[in-house]
Amino acid sequence: MVWLTGGSLGLCLVMIFGLLALVAHHGGRTFWPRPIRLVEDLQGNVLLGEVTESDSFAPDEGLLASLPEEHATALRAEIAAGDGEVGRRLLRTENFELTGVHYHWIDDPFVAEERTPEWALVVERRDKGRFYGFPTGFLVEGRRLAETPPAIWEKLREHEGAVLERFDRALQLEEIDLGRANRAMNDARLELREVELDEGIDSAAWRAQKVEHDRRVEGVQAEFERITGEIGRLRAVNANYQLELETVEGQQTLVGVADVVRAVPVNQLGLHDKLSVYLDRWWEFLTEDPRHANSEGGVWPAIFGTVVMTLLMTVVVVPFGVLAALYLREYAKQGALVSLVRIAVNNLAGVPSIVFGVFGFGFFCQILGVGIDELLFSATLPNPTYGKGGLMWASLTLALLTLPVVIVATEEALSAVPNSMREGSYACGATKWQTIRRIVLPRAQPGIMTGMILAVARGAGEVAPLMLVGAAKWAPSLAVDLAQFPYVFPERSFMHLGFHIYDVGFQSQNSEAARPLVYTTTLLLIGIVVVLNLVAVWIRARMRRRLHGAR
Amino acid sequence: MSPETTPRARRNRKTRRAAILGERFASAAITAGGIGTILAVCLIFFFLAWVVHPIFLSPTVQAGDELSGAAVAEVDRAPWSMGVDEDRLLAWTLQHDGALELVDLATGLRLSVQRPFGDESPTAASFGIGTGERAAFGFADGSVRVARIEFLADFLKDDEVSEDVIGLEVGASAVHEGGVVGRTPTGQLRLTTLSVEVLERYELGTDAPVVDIDHAESPAGFFLTTLQEDGKFVVARVRERRNLMTGKTTRSLVQTVLRESADPLLEAPREILMDGLGQSVYAVWKDGRLEHWDMRVFDAPVLREELSLLEEGELARVRFVTGKKTLAVADDRGNLWTWFPARVGGEDSDPTLRLARRFEPGDSAVVALQPSPRSRTLAVSYASGLTRLFQTTLGDKLVELECEEVLTTLVIPPKEDALLGRSSQRLWTWEIEKRYPEATLTALFRPIPYEGFAEPEHFWASSSASDDFEPQLGLMPLVFGTIKATVYSMIFGAPLAILAAIYTSEFLSKRLRASVKSTVELMASLPSVVLGFIAALVLAPLVQDILPAFLSAFLTVPFAILTGAYLWQMLPDHLAIRWAGWQRFLAIFLTLPLGVGAAVVVGPLFESLLFAGEVEGWLDGRIGSAFGGTFFLLVPAAALVTVLLMGSVLGPRMRERSATWTRAQVARFESLKFVGGTLVLIAVAAVLAFLLQAAGFDPRGGVLDTYVQRNALIVGFAMGFAIVPIIYTLAEDALSEVPSQLREGSLAAGATTWQTAVRIVIPFAMSGIFSALMIGLGRAVGETMIVLMAAGNTAIMDWNVFNGFRTLSANVAVELPEAVVGSAHYRTLFVAALVLFFMTFALNTLAEMVRRHFRGRMHAL
Repeated sequence: MVWLTGGSLGLCLVMIFGLLALVAHHGGRTFWPRPIRLVEDLQGNVLLGEVTESDSFAPDEGLLASLPEEHATALRAEIAAGDGEVGRRLLRTENFELTGVHYHWIDDPFVAEERTPEWALVVERRDKGRFYGFPTGFLVEGRRLAETPPAIWEKLREHEGAVLERFDRALQLEEIDLGRANRAMNDARLELREVELDEGIDSAAWRAQKVEHDRRVEGVQAEFERITGEIGRLRAVNANYQLELETVEGQQTLVGVADVVRAVPVNQLGLHDKLSVYLDRWWEFLTEDPRHANSEGGVWPAIFGTVVMTLLMTVVVVPFGVLAALYLREYAKQGALVSLVRIAVNNLAGVPSIVFGVFGFGFFCQILGVGIDELLFSATLPNPTYGKGGLMWASLTLALLTLPVVIVATEEALSAVPNSMREGSYACGATKWQTIRRIVLPRAQPGIMTGMILAVARGAGEVAPLMLVGAAKWAPSLAVDLAQFPYVFPERSFMHLGFHIYDVGFQSQNSEAARPLVYTTTLLLIGIVVVLNLVAVWIRARMRRRLHGAR
Repeated sequence: MSPETTPRARRNRKTRRAAILGERFASAAITAGGIGTILAVCLIFFFLAWVVHPIFLSPTVQAGDELSGAAVAEVDRAPWSMGVDEDRLLAWTLQHDGALELVDLATGLRLSVQRPFGDESPTAASFGIGTGERAAFGFADGSVRVARIEFLADFLKDDEVSEDVIGLEVGASAVHEGGVVGRTPTGQLRLTTLSVEVLERYELGTDAPVVDIDHAESPAGFFLTTLQEDGKFVVARVRERRNLMTGKTTRSLVQTVLRESADPLLEAPREILMDGLGQSVYAVWKDGRLEHWDMRVFDAPVLREELSLLEEGELARVRFVTGKKTLAVADDRGNLWTWFPARVGGEDSDPTLRLARRFEPGDSAVVALQPSPRSRTLAVSYASGLTRLFQTTLGDKLVELECEEVLTTLVIPPKEDALLGRSSQRLWTWEIEKRYPEATLTALFRPIPYEGFAEPEHFWASSSASDDFEPQLGLMPLVFGTIKATVYSMIFGAPLAILAAIYTSEFLSKRLRASVKSTVELMASLPSVVLGFIAALVLAPLVQDILPAFLSAFLTVPFAILTGAYLWQMLPDHLAIRWAGWQRFLAIFLTLPLGVGAAVVVGPLFESLLFAGEVEGWLDGRIGSAFGGTFFLLVPAAALVTVLLMGSVLGPRMRERSATWTRAQVARFESLKFVGGTLVLIAVAAVLAFLLQAAGFDPRGGVLDTYVQRNALIVGFAMGFAIVPIIYTLAEDALSEVPSQLREGSLAAGATTWQTAVRIVIPFAMSGIFSALMIGLGRAVGETMIVLMAAGNTAIMDWNVFNGFRTLSANVAVELPEAVVGSAHYRTLFVAALVLFFMTFALNTLAEMVRRHFRGRMHAL
């Protein structure tokens, strides 16, 4: 029996470390550039891609029969000698727009020839996902400047910088300047609509506003055309630089150099280059927007959304949690009612998060939000501003969810402050508030910090309520935008790492292709949560030491 | 220091104003903030209850405005039908002579009268229930005409209308161009007009007058059925094909004759009816006899059944309710029933009519039946002037009202906010607030005979694309799913967590304990979305691949650990004592991979021996006998029996004899006992399984059945990650809190560590462990992401480990964003949240109470 108990503990540990190792393994290797293999099978089909998985299976008779005789006999012998199974590997071949598949299984017995060609490229494209193939030409304004891979490579390196610069410039124009023009136009329209709602259509005020509106729209229109013209010019110049690529099947395709995020001739790279590609991909993952329906690119908006949401939540939950705990511990008359309240608060910590989500959806979005819209944003109705999920509502919902955690932790910290200290303070003539502020709170601070961090860790990992109150699969604009007054937009929906995992892993159309990225996102989320927890543990340990020291 | 350099400390005997103010302010702020925060938390419960409460309110009815009861053109025969538009601005009435009159409901004035069929008067008519559906009419010359009578809405610009129309307030209306203009809440002007289109004309049977007609519009085509005076009973199908090039529609008509002519001995049927899919045709006689023609094969109709709808009395009215599947049947004594076809004899049988509901009888003959176009609501008027609304699925009476006159024609407007009735000379209106009759407590928590169900069932199906879909809001399958998830994850997680906690608190050194505990606590902080992702996308396919090995692991891992334990006993004394710390834990740890390895080896063996070579096929019930699964399930029980047997039979005898043996001898004997015990265990399980099989017991269909990739086993395993750390931490706390003098006393009395743990520590910490279990249970009940991702989310009620389920929490997460705010569905989802709230609140309160009790006992020592 002792052994059974020990075995259970062992099993628990194995489960934890197994899970962590699994996620770390898959998440960690996603960005490692793996050799590109060219595999030719017995039927003469060729595939080019990188091996992402391998396992074994028991071939059935039909499969064997489809092989040439001598192979089949050899294979039968091999199978009979082994455990009845042969190996197979999953090849990530991509070129999705041409082939319609992301992956190919290749059975080991069918492989006739396999090599790693020197100039096999993996090209990460901005809008179409990955491309595996060979470079066959570099075109500028339709003229072929280079034909051999090394020359093409050199040309690519040569022009890449300038093209990228133009691309960034166009993007900036589009996002910032064009956005500003759009907003100006929208503002003009909304102001007119507001006057219409207040004064009625065709009233004097409305007519005056209409003239103003037309004048402003005209001004913006000119600006608008200037910017689109500039963007068009930049894009047109960029369109002149093209990379000609060939798939392994011999299909040729042109890729604009501006469309190339990264082209890597993996098979030529040494360890050092691979490491730099690896780190570069990680950097992209952490700092860039997602591309290709969230299945490529980065998760920056999700990281940002998670962090901002958690921060907002903390700002709300800590003061109120501490207030409630102070009240319960220091001010309220200790009696049956207070202990009842305490039990209730304790129990709320066990109420499922989805219930809080339902509350947030029904109360914040549907009642408060709709109310705010009717009062302040009637011009944009029926499009909701606050009457839908958004950053603010999500933060408030999670603040409610984590409130019991903070209250309980703070109360515990407060009760750990020895009464003798309070009495000493009173004896010196301090008032109650002075005692709390100068004596009790500083002592309880580490405990409050622990509570806060535990709340943050819980809040950062919680997804279910966010599904109801504002996490989105794709939020085009961040909730904080320094280019636009008033800089913070608490009504916007936001992306969240946890929701991103659920959405890309389950709701996305090509979740298969996005799987590696989901692992990486998972790794990131676990990392954040684990670090937060470790910090909490560390603080708690320090606090304990300090308390022991004080005694 | 000289007294000059140090200023004399001046003691301020008065408290500074700032301090007093600060004190007052702080105390007010903290009290207000504290109470406010606590109230905000309580608000959650009250808000949920507030959203839910309208579903418990009864519907209300009140007499309409002063125009209710206004005189209209007097007619001697009840009109064919009536219709009202969505905003209740206009009403049309098709009189028996073929005149179609349009009335402005705001003024009671007749706006127009038209004769869509010219001089002819229909001899039979049938109308669709939903808005915009076609109507069919039979004529004296045996011909049939199809027409569409509907209200059209059009938005007008302000410059298109006259001044007095522009001045309309929101909600007011005025007559305009043959229709009525109203101002909508968004400030637009909406013109509602009546459109009457007479469409195709068909000749179906002979040229005798059409006595009765019915029609159906389904994806398979437009169906008509007619009964003529000479007894010819025909069903026709019109196929409409639109030529994409020319835009022309071509129609082809095929017909099947059910009866060529009348049977001279029998009277003609009172009514003929055809269901919404055109698959069943019913003929009903005055005495209640019904013929059910099965038209699923159009060319070969089958007289499926003949039955009597009535007990005594005569047929008064028979009509379909919305969806055109359920028949509402009323007799001349005020009785009302609904019947619908169901596959009573099992999945493969042909549908036959079954009595669904019997409604509260009225006081006199039923005069009119009218279904609502939106929901399963039926308006019934009786000869005494009594009028009622019923919810047909649940059989509830919604409202009852008395009218001075007999209402021969009823109509429920599309928004279901009123009831209109017409007597021979007046038009009556009642305002109705229907509320949520489809979401009563009965509907949420009791089995309901939904349309087409052979038996009353718990069923959840909340939404669908079609309008006449009936939401089925039985919460029980979701509650069941929640319980199933909880049970299976507790079966897996609870023993693991508690055993692990015992080992940690009783057998690990202090240092190791701290690090092990914080590791397990770390597991508690893993976001559940990660667990769900791993479970659904990694674990589920993997387990399906290696199912036999995975199942065997549940037996081989404990077996390997036990084997290790017996081998460990063989160690010489001094080593066993010296290695009792981390070395033993390491050894235990090493047996785990051995157990897993054994599972991989034994798995295929089990598969071929017990499960006829293929587990999934066996589970499907396609191959193999019941023996294997029964054996497998019985092993744990048999193990228990064997241990008890061994203990009671061998134990007392061996205790005396072994007193003189050396440790090595005891160890050897124990090992022998273990081997023997294992054999006994297998024998016991085999015999029991054989007996059970002989008795006809088959686990398939119960806890074992067809394998689905995302199933309760996977969820139980993944949820283990979520609940193990919680139970573990709390149970470990409870065990550690047991005062050490108890342990020391027991050890001093000569008990082993294990004996101390089992006899002293665990009983003492029992209530703490129990409360840990309750808290873990609470977490499992509310867990959302894992079940959402890994449970398959089908709302079914079976205990099969290898099948999925849908929990309350996952259901809320999926459906709430799509639910229409304020609808019955929306409020039902809030009920689900409230149920979850109560379940976890109750569990946590129980745990808290037990824990306080436990603390009290601790203090007593």
